[in-house]
Amino acid sequence: MKVNADLRLKDVPGQLVFALEPISTNDGNIVGVVHHRDVVIGGHITVNVTFEVRSDRMLQRILDTWKERDIDVARMGSLYETFPIECLLVGDISSQELNNIMEEIEAMEDMESVDVRYSVSAASDGKAAIVFGKVRKKEAVERVERLLEERAADGGFLLVRGLGD
Amino acid sequence: MDLVIVGFGVVGQGVAEVIQQKREFLHDAFRKKTRIVGVFDSSSYETNKTGLDPSALIKRKASKNKVGKRRYDGDAWRILGALEYDTLIEVTPTNIVSGEPGFTNIATALKSGKNVITSNKGPLALRFRELSDAARKNNVQLRFEATVGGAMPIINLSRELLRGEKILSIRGILNGTCNFILDRMMEEGLPFAQALREAQDMGIAEKDPSYDIDGDDSACKVAILANAIFGLDKKYSDVKKTGIRGVTEDAISLAEEEKKVIRLIGEISPKRLEVAPRLVRIGHPLSIGGTRNIVQIHTDLAGEITVAGKGAGKYETASAILSDLVALLNENKKSRVIRR
Repeated sequence: MKVNADLRLKDVPGQLVFALEPISTNDGNIVGVVHHRDVVIGGHITVNVTFEVRSDRMLQRILDTWKERDIDVARMGSLYETFPIECLLVGDISSQELNNIMEEIEAMEDMESVDVRYSVSAASDGKAAIVFGKVRKKEAVERVERLLEERAADGGFLLVRGLGD
Repeated sequence: MDLVIVGFGVVGQGVAEVIQQKREFLHDAFRKKTRIVGVFDSSSYETNKTGLDPSALIKRKASKNKVGKRRYDGDAWRILGALEYDTLIEVTPTNIVSGEPGFTNIATALKSGKNVITSNKGPLALRFRELSDAARKNNVQLRFEATVGGAMPIINLSRELLRGEKILSIRGILNGTCNFILDRMMEEGLPFAQALREAQDMGIAEKDPSYDIDGDDSACKVAILANAIFGLDKKYSDVKKTGIRGVTEDAISLAEEEKKVIRLIGEISPKRLEVAPRLVRIGHPLSIGGTRNIVQIHTDLAGEITVAGKGAGKYETASAILSDLVALLNENKKSRVIRR
Protein backbone atom coordinates (compact mmCIF):
# COMPACT_ATOMS: atom_id res chain seq x y z
CA MET A 1 0.00 0.00 0.00
CA LYS A 2 1.31 3.43 -0.88
CA VAL A 3 0.72 6.04 1.80
CA ASN A 4 1.13 9.81 1.73
CA ALA A 5 1.31 11.71 5.03
CA ASP A 6 1.97 15.22 6.33
CA LEU A 7 3.99 15.12 9.56
CA ARG A 8 4.53 18.09 11.89
CA LEU A 9 7.99 17.95 13.44
CA LYS A 10 9.82 20.12 15.95
CA ASP A 11 12.19 22.42 14.08
CA VAL A 12 15.33 21.00 15.68
CA PRO A 13 18.22 18.97 14.16
CA GLY A 14 17.71 15.18 13.93
CA GLN A 15 13.89 15.30 13.86
CA LEU A 16 13.58 14.22 10.22
CA VAL A 17 15.62 11.04 10.76
CA PHE A 18 13.68 10.47 13.97
CA ALA A 19 10.41 10.60 11.97
CA LEU A 20 11.51 8.49 8.99
CA GLU A 21 13.29 5.76 10.91
CA PRO A 22 10.04 3.90 11.99
CA ILE A 23 9.14 3.49 8.32
CA SER A 24 12.34 1.62 7.47
CA THR A 25 12.35 -0.43 10.69
CA ASN A 26 8.88 -1.69 9.75
CA ASP A 27 9.96 -2.79 6.26
CA GLY A 28 8.46 0.31 4.65
CA ASN A 29 9.94 1.81 1.52
CA ILE A 30 10.30 5.59 1.46
CA VAL A 31 9.37 6.85 -1.99
CA GLY A 32 9.66 10.61 -1.45
CA VAL A 33 10.13 13.31 1.18
CA VAL A 34 9.30 17.01 0.81
CA HIS A 35 10.73 19.03 3.67
CA HIS A 36 9.01 22.43 4.13
CA ARG A 37 11.81 24.04 6.18
CA ASP A 38 10.75 27.57 5.29
CA VAL A 39 7.26 27.36 6.90
CA VAL A 40 7.64 27.30 10.67
CA ILE A 41 4.42 27.45 12.69
CA GLY A 42 4.61 27.35 16.47
CA GLY A 43 8.15 25.97 16.32
CA HIS A 44 7.04 23.12 14.02
CA ILE A 45 7.74 22.43 10.36
CA THR A 46 5.77 20.19 7.96
CA VAL A 47 7.25 17.20 6.15
CA ASN A 48 5.34 15.41 3.42
CA VAL A 49 6.37 11.76 3.15
CA THR A 50 5.31 9.10 0.67
CA PHE A 51 6.09 5.49 1.49
CA GLU A 52 5.06 1.94 0.65
CA VAL A 53 4.13 -0.46 3.38
CA ARG A 54 3.37 -4.20 3.20
CA SER A 55 0.27 -4.41 5.39
CA ASP A 56 -2.17 -2.48 7.54
CA ARG A 57 -0.49 -3.99 10.57
CA MET A 58 2.89 -2.55 9.59
CA LEU A 59 1.28 0.83 8.95
CA GLN A 60 -0.31 0.71 12.38
CA ARG A 61 3.09 -0.02 13.97
CA ILE A 62 4.55 3.03 12.22
CA LEU A 63 1.66 5.20 13.43
CA ASP A 64 2.08 3.87 16.97
CA THR A 65 5.80 4.71 16.95
CA TRP A 66 5.11 8.24 15.67
CA LYS A 67 2.62 8.68 18.49
CA GLU A 68 5.18 7.49 21.06
CA ARG A 69 7.72 9.92 19.60
CA ASP A 70 5.25 12.80 19.78
CA ILE A 71 5.24 13.23 16.01
CA ASP A 72 1.97 14.74 14.88
CA VAL A 73 0.32 13.26 11.75
CA ALA A 74 -1.50 16.25 10.26
CA ARG A 75 -2.93 14.34 7.26
CA MET A 76 -2.66 10.85 5.86
CA GLY A 77 -4.17 9.07 2.90
CA SER A 78 -3.79 6.06 0.69
CA LEU A 79 -2.79 7.00 -2.83
CA TYR A 80 -4.90 4.36 -4.57
CA GLU A 81 -8.39 2.99 -4.31
CA THR A 82 -8.00 -0.49 -2.96
CA PHE A 83 -10.25 -3.54 -2.73
CA PRO A 84 -10.20 -5.89 0.23
CA ILE A 85 -9.39 -9.57 0.01
CA GLU A 86 -10.31 -11.84 2.87
CA CYS A 87 -10.45 -15.58 2.74
CA LEU A 88 -10.50 -18.20 5.42
CA LEU A 89 -8.87 -21.56 4.80
CA VAL A 90 -10.02 -24.42 7.01
CA GLY A 91 -8.55 -27.90 7.24
CA ASP A 92 -5.26 -29.72 7.42
CA ILE A 93 -3.03 -27.16 5.71
CA SER A 94 0.70 -27.42 6.34
CA SER A 95 2.62 -24.23 7.03
CA GLN A 96 4.76 -24.99 3.98
CA GLU A 97 1.64 -25.14 1.80
CA LEU A 98 0.38 -21.90 3.27
CA ASN A 99 3.76 -20.21 2.71
CA ASN A 100 3.68 -21.31 -0.92
CA ILE A 101 0.19 -19.90 -1.34
CA MET A 102 1.22 -16.60 0.26
CA GLU A 103 4.27 -16.34 -2.00
CA GLU A 104 2.08 -16.90 -5.06
CA ILE A 105 -0.36 -14.22 -3.93
CA GLU A 106 2.42 -11.74 -3.13
CA ALA A 107 3.85 -12.24 -6.60
CA MET A 108 0.53 -11.41 -8.27
CA GLU A 109 0.00 -8.13 -10.09
CA ASP A 110 -1.88 -5.29 -8.39
CA MET A 111 -1.29 -6.54 -4.87
CA GLU A 112 -1.14 -3.72 -2.37
CA SER A 113 -0.73 -5.71 0.83
CA VAL A 114 -1.35 -9.24 2.02
CA ASP A 115 -1.05 -10.92 5.38
CA VAL A 116 -2.02 -14.18 7.04
CA ARG A 117 -3.05 -15.20 10.55
CA TYR A 118 -3.27 -18.74 11.85
CA SER A 119 -5.43 -20.39 14.47
CA VAL A 120 -3.75 -22.16 17.36
CA SER A 121 -5.83 -25.34 17.32
CA ALA A 122 -4.29 -28.65 18.27
CA ALA A 123 -6.62 -30.58 15.97
CA SER A 124 -4.91 -30.75 12.59
CA ASP A 125 -8.06 -30.97 10.48
CA GLY A 126 -9.74 -28.13 12.35
CA LYS A 127 -6.98 -25.58 11.72
CA ALA A 128 -7.80 -22.29 10.11
CA ALA A 129 -5.86 -19.46 8.53
CA ILE A 130 -7.20 -16.14 7.40
CA VAL A 131 -5.61 -14.41 4.43
CA PHE A 132 -6.36 -10.72 4.18
CA GLY A 133 -5.06 -7.74 2.35
CA LYS A 134 -5.74 -5.17 -0.32
CA VAL A 135 -5.48 -5.08 -4.07
CA ARG A 136 -5.56 -2.20 -6.52
CA LYS A 137 -7.97 -3.73 -9.04
CA LYS A 138 -11.22 -5.62 -8.61
CA GLU A 139 -10.01 -8.27 -11.04
CA ALA A 140 -7.13 -8.98 -8.68
CA VAL A 141 -9.65 -10.04 -6.00
CA GLU A 142 -11.01 -12.60 -8.45
CA ARG A 143 -7.48 -13.79 -9.30
CA VAL A 144 -6.65 -14.33 -5.64
CA GLU A 145 -9.94 -16.11 -4.99
CA ARG A 146 -9.45 -18.30 -8.05
CA LEU A 147 -5.99 -19.31 -6.86
CA LEU A 148 -7.31 -20.11 -3.40
CA GLU A 149 -10.23 -22.08 -4.86
CA GLU A 150 -7.78 -24.19 -6.88
CA ARG A 151 -5.52 -24.77 -3.88
CA ALA A 152 -8.52 -25.61 -1.68
CA ALA A 153 -9.78 -28.14 -4.22
CA ASP A 154 -6.30 -29.69 -4.58
CA GLY A 155 -5.61 -29.76 -0.86
CA GLY A 156 -9.10 -30.83 0.22
CA PHE A 157 -9.64 -27.91 2.56
CA LEU A 158 -12.55 -25.54 2.90
CA LEU A 159 -12.38 -22.03 1.48
CA VAL A 160 -14.59 -19.35 3.02
CA ARG A 161 -14.51 -16.20 0.89
CA GLY A 162 -15.40 -12.73 2.06
CA LEU A 163 -18.60 -11.10 0.93
CA GLY A 164 -16.73 -8.18 -0.64
CA ASP A 165 -18.53 -5.47 1.32
CA MET B 1 -62.36 -20.90 -6.02
CA ASP B 2 -62.27 -24.67 -5.67
CA LEU B 3 -59.02 -26.10 -4.35
CA VAL B 4 -57.46 -29.52 -4.23
CA ILE B 5 -54.67 -30.08 -1.75
CA VAL B 6 -52.21 -32.84 -2.54
CA GLY B 7 -50.00 -33.61 0.45
CA PHE B 8 -51.44 -33.48 3.92
CA GLY B 9 -48.42 -33.38 6.19
CA VAL B 10 -47.50 -30.37 8.31
CA VAL B 11 -47.70 -27.92 5.39
CA GLY B 12 -50.94 -29.32 3.93
CA GLN B 13 -52.64 -29.20 7.31
CA GLY B 14 -51.35 -25.65 7.84
CA VAL B 15 -52.87 -24.64 4.51
CA ALA B 16 -56.24 -26.21 5.39
CA GLU B 17 -56.21 -24.45 8.76
CA VAL B 18 -55.34 -21.08 7.24
CA ILE B 19 -58.01 -21.41 4.54
CA GLN B 20 -60.58 -21.97 7.24
CA GLN B 21 -59.19 -19.13 9.36
CA LYS B 22 -59.22 -16.70 6.40
CA ARG B 23 -62.51 -17.84 4.90
CA GLU B 24 -64.37 -14.63 5.71
CA PHE B 25 -61.53 -12.41 4.57
CA LEU B 26 -61.30 -14.25 1.26
CA HIS B 27 -65.04 -14.06 0.72
CA ASP B 28 -65.29 -10.37 1.64
CA ALA B 29 -62.29 -9.40 -0.50
CA PHE B 30 -63.11 -11.43 -3.59
CA ARG B 31 -66.84 -12.13 -3.36
CA LYS B 32 -66.20 -15.76 -4.10
CA LYS B 33 -66.27 -18.90 -1.98
CA THR B 34 -62.92 -20.57 -1.46
CA ARG B 35 -63.51 -24.28 -0.87
CA ILE B 36 -61.36 -27.34 -0.49
CA VAL B 37 -63.02 -29.87 -2.82
CA GLY B 38 -60.33 -32.54 -2.71
CA VAL B 39 -57.51 -33.58 -0.44
CA PHE B 40 -54.87 -36.28 -0.73
CA ASP B 41 -52.22 -37.73 1.54
CA SER B 42 -49.86 -40.50 0.45
CA SER B 43 -52.41 -43.31 0.76
CA SER B 44 -55.91 -41.86 1.09
CA TYR B 45 -58.07 -39.12 -0.31
CA GLU B 46 -61.41 -37.41 0.03
CA THR B 47 -63.45 -35.31 -2.36
CA ASN B 48 -66.65 -33.30 -2.11
CA LYS B 49 -67.93 -30.90 -4.77
CA THR B 50 -69.63 -28.72 -2.17
CA GLY B 51 -66.52 -28.41 -0.04
CA LEU B 52 -64.76 -30.34 2.73
CA ASP B 53 -64.53 -29.18 6.33
CA PRO B 54 -60.84 -28.34 7.05
CA SER B 55 -61.20 -29.03 10.79
CA ALA B 56 -62.69 -32.45 10.16
CA LEU B 57 -59.85 -33.27 7.75
CA ILE B 58 -57.21 -32.30 10.30
CA LYS B 59 -59.01 -34.23 13.05
CA ARG B 60 -59.27 -37.34 10.90
CA LYS B 61 -55.61 -37.14 9.94
CA ALA B 62 -54.63 -36.85 13.62
CA SER B 63 -56.78 -39.76 14.77
CA LYS B 64 -56.52 -42.20 11.84
CA ASN B 65 -53.31 -40.99 10.22
CA LYS B 66 -55.33 -40.84 7.00
CA VAL B 67 -56.98 -37.74 5.58
CA GLY B 68 -59.66 -39.60 3.64
CA LYS B 69 -61.80 -42.70 3.68
CA ARG B 70 -60.87 -43.66 0.17
CA ARG B 71 -57.59 -45.52 -0.45
CA TYR B 72 -55.41 -45.20 -3.54
CA ASP B 73 -51.97 -46.22 -4.79
CA GLY B 74 -50.26 -42.86 -4.07
CA ASP B 75 -50.47 -41.59 -7.67
CA ALA B 76 -52.75 -38.62 -7.06
CA TRP B 77 -52.39 -37.48 -10.68
CA ARG B 78 -54.47 -40.45 -11.87
CA ILE B 79 -57.43 -39.20 -9.83
CA LEU B 80 -56.79 -35.47 -10.32
CA GLY B 81 -57.76 -35.70 -14.00
CA ALA B 82 -61.31 -36.72 -13.10
CA LEU B 83 -61.88 -33.95 -10.55
CA GLU B 84 -63.46 -30.56 -11.08
CA TYR B 85 -61.49 -27.80 -9.41
CA ASP B 86 -59.71 -24.50 -10.17
CA THR B 87 -56.39 -24.68 -8.36
CA LEU B 88 -54.09 -27.43 -7.20
CA ILE B 89 -52.12 -26.82 -4.01
CA GLU B 90 -49.22 -29.26 -4.32
CA VAL B 91 -47.43 -29.66 -1.01
CA THR B 92 -45.96 -33.16 -1.13
CA PRO B 93 -42.40 -33.50 0.25
CA THR B 94 -39.47 -32.27 -1.84
CA ASN B 95 -37.65 -34.97 -3.78
CA ILE B 96 -34.46 -33.65 -5.38
CA VAL B 97 -33.62 -36.88 -7.18
CA SER B 98 -36.67 -37.30 -9.43
CA GLY B 99 -38.93 -34.45 -8.40
CA GLU B 100 -41.76 -36.96 -7.93
CA PRO B 101 -44.58 -37.22 -7.12
CA GLY B 102 -44.74 -33.42 -7.25
CA PHE B 103 -43.67 -33.05 -10.87
CA THR B 104 -46.36 -35.30 -12.33
CA ASN B 105 -49.05 -33.87 -10.05
CA ILE B 106 -48.18 -30.32 -11.10
CA ALA B 107 -47.76 -31.17 -14.78
CA THR B 108 -51.10 -33.01 -14.86
CA ALA B 109 -52.93 -30.07 -13.31
CA LEU B 110 -51.33 -27.50 -15.62
CA LYS B 111 -52.05 -29.57 -18.72
CA SER B 112 -55.70 -29.81 -17.72
CA GLY B 113 -55.91 -26.04 -17.40
CA LYS B 114 -55.68 -25.69 -13.62
CA ASN B 115 -53.64 -23.15 -11.70
CA VAL B 116 -51.02 -24.58 -9.38
CA ILE B 117 -49.60 -23.28 -6.10
CA THR B 118 -46.73 -25.28 -4.65
CA SER B 119 -44.21 -25.33 -1.82
CA ASN B 120 -42.44 -28.31 -3.39
CA LYS B 121 -38.89 -27.36 -4.44
CA GLY B 122 -38.03 -30.61 -6.24
CA PRO B 123 -40.02 -30.17 -9.48
CA LEU B 124 -38.93 -26.54 -9.83
CA ALA B 125 -35.27 -27.14 -9.02
CA LEU B 126 -35.12 -29.99 -11.56
CA ARG B 127 -37.60 -29.21 -14.38
CA PHE B 128 -38.62 -25.57 -14.04
CA ARG B 129 -38.73 -24.77 -17.73
CA GLU B 130 -41.03 -27.69 -18.60
CA LEU B 131 -43.51 -26.63 -15.95
CA SER B 132 -43.43 -22.91 -16.69
CA ASP B 133 -43.86 -23.67 -20.42
CA ALA B 134 -46.84 -25.91 -19.62
CA ALA B 135 -48.41 -23.12 -17.55
CA ARG B 136 -47.92 -20.60 -20.35
CA LYS B 137 -49.21 -22.96 -23.02
CA ASN B 138 -52.38 -23.71 -21.04
CA ASN B 139 -52.88 -20.10 -20.00
CA VAL B 140 -52.81 -20.86 -16.30
CA GLN B 141 -50.56 -19.82 -13.45
CA LEU B 142 -47.85 -21.72 -11.62
CA ARG B 143 -47.08 -19.96 -8.34
CA PHE B 144 -44.41 -21.02 -5.88
CA GLU B 145 -43.64 -18.29 -3.32
CA ALA B 146 -43.46 -20.95 -0.58
CA THR B 147 -40.54 -22.75 -2.22
CA VAL B 148 -38.03 -20.10 -1.16
CA GLY B 149 -37.76 -18.52 2.25
CA GLY B 150 -41.10 -19.56 3.80
CA ALA B 151 -42.86 -16.42 4.98
CA MET B 152 -40.17 -14.14 3.52
CA PRO B 153 -41.60 -12.66 0.31
CA ILE B 154 -38.97 -12.86 -2.39
CA ILE B 155 -40.38 -14.34 -5.60
CA ASN B 156 -43.58 -12.32 -5.85
CA LEU B 157 -41.73 -9.22 -4.61
CA SER B 158 -39.12 -9.55 -7.35
CA ARG B 159 -41.49 -10.62 -10.15
CA GLU B 160 -44.40 -8.34 -9.41
CA LEU B 161 -43.59 -5.34 -7.21
CA LEU B 162 -40.08 -4.84 -8.64
CA ARG B 163 -41.15 -5.58 -12.20
CA GLY B 164 -39.73 -2.37 -13.66
CA GLU B 165 -36.36 -2.85 -12.01
CA LYS B 166 -33.44 -4.70 -13.49
CA ILE B 167 -32.40 -7.16 -10.83
CA LEU B 168 -28.63 -7.39 -10.90
CA SER B 169 -28.00 -9.94 -8.19
CA ILE B 170 -29.56 -11.69 -5.23
CA ARG B 171 -27.76 -13.12 -2.25
CA GLY B 172 -28.81 -14.24 1.15
CA ILE B 173 -29.33 -16.79 3.86
CA LEU B 174 -31.79 -19.36 2.51
CA ASN B 175 -31.54 -22.10 5.12
CA GLY B 176 -32.47 -21.48 8.75
CA THR B 177 -30.99 -24.75 10.01
CA CYS B 178 -27.47 -23.88 8.83
CA ASN B 179 -27.80 -20.39 10.18
CA PHE B 180 -28.86 -21.67 13.57
CA ILE B 181 -25.88 -24.07 13.71
CA LEU B 182 -23.33 -21.43 12.64
CA ASP B 183 -24.81 -18.91 15.05
CA ARG B 184 -24.66 -21.35 17.98
CA MET B 185 -21.06 -22.25 17.13
CA MET B 186 -20.11 -18.60 17.44
CA GLU B 187 -22.32 -17.56 20.34
CA GLU B 188 -21.53 -20.53 22.56
CA GLY B 189 -18.21 -21.68 21.12
CA LEU B 190 -19.76 -25.08 20.33
CA PRO B 191 -18.13 -27.59 17.99
CA PHE B 192 -20.11 -28.26 14.81
CA ALA B 193 -21.35 -31.72 15.94
CA GLN B 194 -22.71 -30.35 19.20
CA ALA B 195 -24.45 -27.39 17.58
CA LEU B 196 -26.01 -29.81 15.08
CA ARG B 197 -27.20 -32.12 17.90
CA GLU B 198 -28.74 -29.14 19.66
CA ALA B 199 -30.57 -28.18 16.43
CA GLN B 200 -31.82 -31.77 16.08
CA ASP B 201 -33.03 -31.86 19.71
CA MET B 202 -34.95 -28.63 19.11
CA GLY B 203 -36.53 -29.99 15.92
CA ILE B 204 -34.70 -27.41 13.78
CA ALA B 205 -32.55 -30.02 12.01
CA GLU B 206 -33.71 -33.36 10.60
CA LYS B 207 -32.41 -36.71 11.89
CA ASP B 208 -30.53 -36.92 8.61
CA PRO B 209 -29.37 -33.32 8.27
CA SER B 210 -27.45 -33.77 5.00
CA TYR B 211 -30.03 -32.01 2.82
CA ASP B 212 -29.61 -28.84 4.87
CA ILE B 213 -25.98 -28.85 5.99
CA ASP B 214 -24.55 -29.97 2.66
CA GLY B 215 -26.21 -27.01 0.98
CA ASP B 216 -28.75 -28.99 -1.12
CA ASP B 217 -31.76 -27.10 0.21
CA SER B 218 -30.13 -23.73 -0.45
CA ALA B 219 -28.96 -24.87 -3.88
CA CYS B 220 -32.57 -25.79 -4.83
CA LYS B 221 -33.67 -22.30 -3.81
CA VAL B 222 -30.83 -20.66 -5.74
CA ALA B 223 -31.85 -22.62 -8.86
CA ILE B 224 -35.51 -21.62 -8.42
CA LEU B 225 -34.61 -17.92 -7.98
CA ALA B 226 -32.26 -18.05 -10.98
CA ASN B 227 -35.07 -19.46 -13.14
CA ALA B 228 -37.98 -17.45 -11.78
CA ILE B 229 -36.33 -14.06 -11.46
CA PHE B 230 -33.42 -14.08 -13.90
CA GLY B 231 -35.21 -16.11 -16.57
CA LEU B 232 -32.46 -18.71 -16.68
CA ASP B 233 -32.87 -22.41 -17.33
CA LYS B 234 -30.93 -23.90 -14.43
CA LYS B 235 -31.18 -27.08 -12.46
CA TYR B 236 -30.23 -27.69 -8.89
CA SER B 237 -27.12 -29.51 -10.13
CA ASP B 238 -25.95 -26.34 -11.97
CA VAL B 239 -25.45 -24.60 -8.62
CA LYS B 240 -21.94 -24.81 -7.23
CA LYS B 241 -22.40 -25.83 -3.64
CA THR B 242 -20.31 -26.15 -0.51
CA GLY B 243 -21.97 -27.02 2.78
CA ILE B 244 -21.02 -26.17 6.34
CA ARG B 245 -19.66 -29.53 7.58
CA GLY B 246 -16.09 -28.28 7.26
CA VAL B 247 -16.59 -25.17 9.41
CA THR B 248 -14.58 -25.61 12.60
CA GLU B 249 -14.44 -23.80 15.94
CA ASP B 250 -11.06 -22.37 14.90
CA ALA B 251 -12.57 -20.97 11.73
CA ILE B 252 -15.42 -19.37 13.66
CA SER B 253 -13.12 -17.80 16.26
CA LEU B 254 -10.58 -16.60 13.71
CA ALA B 255 -13.42 -14.93 11.80
CA GLU B 256 -14.72 -13.40 15.01
CA GLU B 257 -11.29 -11.90 15.77
CA GLU B 258 -11.65 -10.09 12.45
CA LYS B 259 -15.19 -8.98 13.45
CA LYS B 260 -16.76 -11.41 11.00
CA VAL B 261 -19.20 -14.29 11.18
CA ILE B 262 -19.52 -17.27 8.86
CA ARG B 263 -22.86 -17.64 7.10
CA LEU B 264 -24.07 -20.02 4.38
CA ILE B 265 -24.87 -17.64 1.53
CA GLY B 266 -26.73 -18.38 -1.67
CA GLU B 267 -25.76 -16.07 -4.54
CA ILE B 268 -27.27 -15.49 -7.96
CA SER B 269 -25.37 -13.05 -10.14
CA PRO B 270 -24.14 -12.98 -13.73
CA LYS B 271 -20.86 -14.49 -12.51
CA ARG B 272 -22.06 -16.88 -9.85
CA LEU B 273 -24.71 -19.43 -9.08
CA GLU B 274 -23.43 -20.63 -5.79
CA VAL B 275 -24.06 -21.73 -2.24
CA ALA B 276 -21.05 -21.48 0.06
CA PRO B 277 -20.01 -20.45 3.55
CA ARG B 278 -18.89 -16.81 3.43
CA LEU B 279 -17.28 -14.32 5.79
CA VAL B 280 -19.78 -11.62 6.69
CA ARG B 281 -18.99 -8.48 8.66
CA ILE B 282 -20.71 -8.36 12.06
CA GLY B 283 -23.48 -5.78 11.73
CA HIS B 284 -24.00 -6.48 8.01
CA PRO B 285 -27.66 -7.39 7.29
CA LEU B 286 -26.60 -10.89 6.25
CA SER B 287 -24.91 -11.50 9.61
CA ILE B 288 -28.24 -12.21 11.37
CA GLY B 289 -28.43 -15.19 13.71
CA GLY B 290 -31.17 -17.67 14.52
CA THR B 291 -33.34 -19.51 12.02
CA ARG B 292 -34.54 -16.56 9.99
CA ASN B 293 -33.91 -16.22 6.27
CA ILE B 294 -32.73 -12.97 4.74
CA VAL B 295 -32.13 -11.89 1.17
CA GLN B 296 -30.63 -8.82 -0.46
CA ILE B 297 -31.87 -7.93 -3.92
CA HIS B 298 -29.57 -5.60 -5.82
CA THR B 299 -31.44 -3.60 -8.46
CA ASP B 300 -30.51 -0.90 -10.95
CA LEU B 301 -32.86 1.80 -9.61
CA ALA B 302 -33.77 0.99 -6.03
CA GLY B 303 -30.27 -0.21 -5.14
CA GLU B 304 -30.24 -2.74 -2.34
CA ILE B 305 -33.51 -4.12 -0.99
CA THR B 306 -33.37 -6.43 2.00
CA VAL B 307 -36.17 -8.76 3.10
CA ALA B 308 -36.15 -11.12 6.06
CA GLY B 309 -38.58 -13.56 7.59
CA LYS B 310 -39.13 -16.96 9.10
CA GLY B 311 -37.87 -19.44 6.55
CA ALA B 312 -39.85 -22.51 7.53
CA GLY B 313 -42.74 -23.74 9.63
CA LYS B 314 -46.37 -24.73 9.26
CA TYR B 315 -47.96 -21.28 9.30
CA GLU B 316 -45.02 -19.48 7.66
CA THR B 317 -45.25 -21.76 4.63
CA ALA B 318 -49.05 -21.53 4.67
CA SER B 319 -48.67 -17.74 4.70
CA ALA B 320 -46.66 -17.86 1.46
CA ILE B 321 -49.22 -20.21 -0.11
CA LEU B 322 -52.01 -17.86 0.99
CA SER B 323 -50.22 -14.95 -0.72
CA ASP B 324 -50.23 -16.94 -3.97
CA LEU B 325 -53.87 -17.85 -3.50
CA VAL B 326 -54.76 -14.20 -2.95
CA ALA B 327 -52.84 -13.27 -6.11
CA LEU B 328 -54.87 -15.82 -8.10
CA LEU B 329 -58.15 -14.62 -6.63
CA ASN B 330 -57.14 -11.07 -7.44
CA GLU B 331 -56.42 -12.00 -11.07
CA ASN B 332 -59.75 -13.76 -11.19
CA LYS B 333 -61.55 -10.72 -9.83
CA LYS B 334 -59.85 -8.43 -12.34
CA SER B 335 -60.78 -10.66 -15.25
CA ARG B 336 -64.39 -10.82 -13.99
CA VAL B 337 -64.49 -7.01 -13.93
CA ILE B 338 -63.04 -6.79 -17.46
CA ARG B 339 -65.57 -9.33 -18.79
CA ARG B 340 -68.42 -7.26 -17.38
